[in-house]
Amino acid sequence: MRYIHLILRSLFRSRRRTILTVLFLAVSVFLVATLQSILLTLDAFANNPNSSNRIAVRHKVSLTNLLPLRYADWIRQQPEVEEVMALQWFGGIYQDPRNFFPNFAAEPEPIVRIFKEEIVEYSETQWRDFLRDRNGCIVGEALAKKYGWKVGDVIPMQGTIFPINPRLNLRLIYRSRRLTDEQAMYFHFKLVEEGVPFMQGRVGNLWVRAKHPDEVPRLIERIDRHFADAVEPTLSETENAFQLEFLKMMGNLATIIHAITGAVLVAILIVTANTMAMAIRERTTEVAVFRAMGFTGSRMLGILMAEGILLAIMGGMAGLGLAWLAAGGIRAALGSVIPWLTDFTIPVDTLLFCLHASMGLGILSTFIPAYRVVRRPIVEGLRAL
Amino acid sequence: MALDFIIRCEAVAKSYWRGTLEIPVLQGLDLEIPRGGYYALMGPSGSGKTTLLNLIAGIDRPTGGSIEVCGYDLNDLDDDQLAGWRSQHVGFIFQNYNLVPVLNAFENVELPLLLTRLSRRERREKVLEALALVNLTDRLENYPRQLSGGQEQRVAIARAIVTEPDILVADEPTGALDAKNAEEVMALLERLNSEVGKTILLVTHDPKAAHHARIQIHLEKGVLDRTVEVNR
Amino acid sequence: MVWLAFLPLLPYLAWLVWAALRHPIPLSYNWRSLWQRKVSTLSTAGAIAVVVVIFVVVLSLSQGISRAFVSSGRADQVVVLRPNARVELNSSVERGQARILKTNPFLVQDADGPLASCECMVVKLLELADGSGSTNVAFRGLEPAGVRMRSQVRLVTGRWFRPGLPELVVPQKMVGRFANLGMGKSLFFSGQSWNIVGVFEGGGSAFDSEVWTDVEMLMQAHRRTTFSSMLVRLHSAEKVPGFVKFLDDDKRLKLEGKPETEYYAQQTEAGKPIQVLGNLITVILTVGAIFAAMNTMFAAVASRTAEIGTLRALGYRRVEILASFQWEALMLCTLGGLLGAGMALGFNGIQTGTTNFETFSDISFAFTITPNLMGQGVAFSLLMGVLGGFFPAWRASRIPVTEAMKGG
Repeated sequence: MRYIHLILRSLFRSRRRTILTVLFLAVSVFLVATLQSILLTLDAFANNPNSSNRIAVRHKVSLTNLLPLRYADWIRQQPEVEEVMALQWFGGIYQDPRNFFPNFAAEPEPIVRIFKEEIVEYSETQWRDFLRDRNGCIVGEALAKKYGWKVGDVIPMQGTIFPINPRLNLRLIYRSRRLTDEQAMYFHFKLVEEGVPFMQGRVGNLWVRAKHPDEVPRLIERIDRHFADAVEPTLSETENAFQLEFLKMMGNLATIIHAITGAVLVAILIVTANTMAMAIRERTTEVAVFRAMGFTGSRMLGILMAEGILLAIMGGMAGLGLAWLAAGGIRAALGSVIPWLTDFTIPVDTLLFCLHASMGLGILSTFIPAYRVVRRPIVEGLRAL
Repeated sequence: MALDFIIRCEAVAKSYWRGTLEIPVLQGLDLEIPRGGYYALMGPSGSGKTTLLNLIAGIDRPTGGSIEVCGYDLNDLDDDQLAGWRSQHVGFIFQNYNLVPVLNAFENVELPLLLTRLSRRERREKVLEALALVNLTDRLENYPRQLSGGQEQRVAIARAIVTEPDILVADEPTGALDAKNAEEVMALLERLNSEVGKTILLVTHDPKAAHHARIQIHLEKGVLDRTVEVNR
Repeated sequence: MVWLAFLPLLPYLAWLVWAALRHPIPLSYNWRSLWQRKVSTLSTAGAIAVVVVIFVVVLSLSQGISRAFVSSGRADQVVVLRPNARVELNSSVERGQARILKTNPFLVQDADGPLASCECMVVKLLELADGSGSTNVAFRGLEPAGVRMRSQVRLVTGRWFRPGLPELVVPQKMVGRFANLGMGKSLFFSGQSWNIVGVFEGGGSAFDSEVWTDVEMLMQAHRRTTFSSMLVRLHSAEKVPGFVKFLDDDKRLKLEGKPETEYYAQQTEAGKPIQVLGNLITVILTVGAIFAAMNTMFAAVASRTAEIGTLRALGYRRVEILASFQWEALMLCTLGGLLGAGMALGFNGIQTGTTNFETFSDISFAFTITPNLMGQGVAFSLLMGVLGGFFPAWRASRIPVTEAMKGG
């Protein structure tokens, strides 16, 4: 690129203008990158590769209807099934409603087998302690760290969905491969079943682990067919699909984020086009001089376009840099409110999207002023001053 | 052998349109300039001297007639070919120098060479050569705003000759200069003509500047008025 | 909230007004200058307009959610729940408890008996009309008294459900958004078909997001034996604290009373995430818009160097130049603000929904762009004008008189 230093110099001809435009772009791209990343991070929960073996079974009518526990017995007998577990979202509060983290009542023995991919590292002795203690619970290390819990601590939980307030003994702290997987608490389902009259023999979900991911669709179909004519029909789906439903509740959030992204991109286009129009207009004579010297129209167009694209990319990169820096802050600030964001980063997809978008906007915004100045007769350009 | 004419204009006409009104600028002008000539185009404002210069330099198109420069009929070339032709055969010198303000003297002179296949080192040699010719080798790193008007115009001249074009066209090269600097620039052009053999076509209304040329062509209302040979 | 940001700027703004009145570099001069650079002015105003649209719409979104809850309660009514239940969905009230409460002397009686309604709240998946899937919708079973007690709810077409029949009455706001929800249509669940016999209008309250039916039918369909909650009306709002205390103290009943207004106010938390996100977005975008405004104003100053020098030569003082350019920036940004407020108006009346994470059910509401919101949007653009215009104006005021002589 023989013209690179010419392009760079021209770009910084009006340093203040270029810097202000880059700052504007940076701020806008930062916003877009962050919003899109939040969306993608949340989406990733519905695309968890670790959960490809797992099926969530629930009542067909709605999330709040309960299934008979005995359904687990039939499911367990199916040849494709490795493990079945009763799982109940407890929705308990620790001290303050704002301390939100997922907590479940579960049949204890199968927990580590069902969530093999998440509960990776733990001590066998602690695990036996947990199984023996009806009031025992296990939590992920990240969660334990956040509230300063140690094994042996008593954690008072306040029921919201269920009228019980169990005092749980922390028996085990497990570690996972990802921080987000260390946000959950599990305790004995018996506590809920025995403490709440309407939970006797009933549970919200049955979590099924198939021996092989390929068998999942067949298994789902078989379970639902078997219980189709029962008084309480089931609805089975992959764990990912189940998660997706929760995310869909945020459907409007996605729409809002996409709408804002669109609006911001339009704003970027307008402002960049304005800057480039100013930058090019004041160089009308110069462009004519270049062309008199023998630069062809297309070459001149290329040089001007390169300048606009470079400007846009600089802004884009600065924005992505900001977003990358801010990711840590977002992890810390939002992660405590929305546990799914504890692993928040700027995904490669977002990175590429933002780079492409800024490049595209650079091209779009420069083309019209550049084309106009290049189309102008040289003689006229030389006269303009 | 007849004289080797580098520029041949035949019945050249050019008019501009202002709305539906046709304004003729050149009306069937014939002109022949031999290789190595030093011609000054003179005449009152609106006589068409700059237009003629632009047509010969290939940055404007005639509405009638033909122009042959360096063996090319300019009407046969499309815009891009014309641009390529200009980069090889024509060097421009402007009244306002028109240096690129964000580039230093060296880089300004190097600009037209970017269109050639020359390597970086070859370009450097040529630039230094051109700047030596205009006596500015000590100002390589200076930006246009750090130079005086005369120096700026000398850089512009170096830029015009660096590609070794056959013709130099200069539109009022001394128009923005004081007497001393103007004299210097005109002396330089004269040297380029006599020592290096460049064909020079100059537009000016400054009789002092025109005096440096060998032949003065006077235009009046779009036609050739008279041709005067300068005696020195 | 925007208005507060103006407080520290008040003296400056006051000075600007004073400067404009006392030393008239006429404002029309600024206006014409802006108009001379039409493309530049309009594109900057356009960028500001985009920011103002986002600001107004996001604000209206979070206000819409808040209002849904705020306008739902009556000060003289109390929601009775199981202690710690927070929301009706998690609560349960036994028939025995309900029977005792209904005879409580605190309650208002009308011709048909005490104004008290035992209610049942469940959540069901309903399919969205646009085919994008389904979402959870709250179903409320009520006693006839319960309908009378919601004075903000008004029947639009059809009639109310009859006790003992599988009939539903749905809110107008949900009709367009959900499939199979509308007058004369029916839903099928729990082994039977439920006819929609009426459509009501909840006046922007939370009831606009609930499907209503007979409490006993709903409980039967869900094999529930306990109510979710009870709504009771007292003689006056002053009686509410006494009644709440009475429930607290009654160890036999084991129930908790919450003033209805407070109960719903607590749920406005549902709008929090959107509010936080909205504020974040607005702040970031504002910073961006200020850069854009600065850019344009700096360009304006640069292209008028000679003009400014001339003004100074004519005897105008630095402060007057400053005020003049500051006014120009304000005009530019206000133009964007007005444009944006106008564009935001296009969102007025659009029906949408979001999820109440307290109950995992859908909240339906309409964007309402009030004059107040639009005013805030314009005020916001003024703020950008002050911040984005100051530095260029300052620079303009520093241009020495001699510049005028050098020519453009």
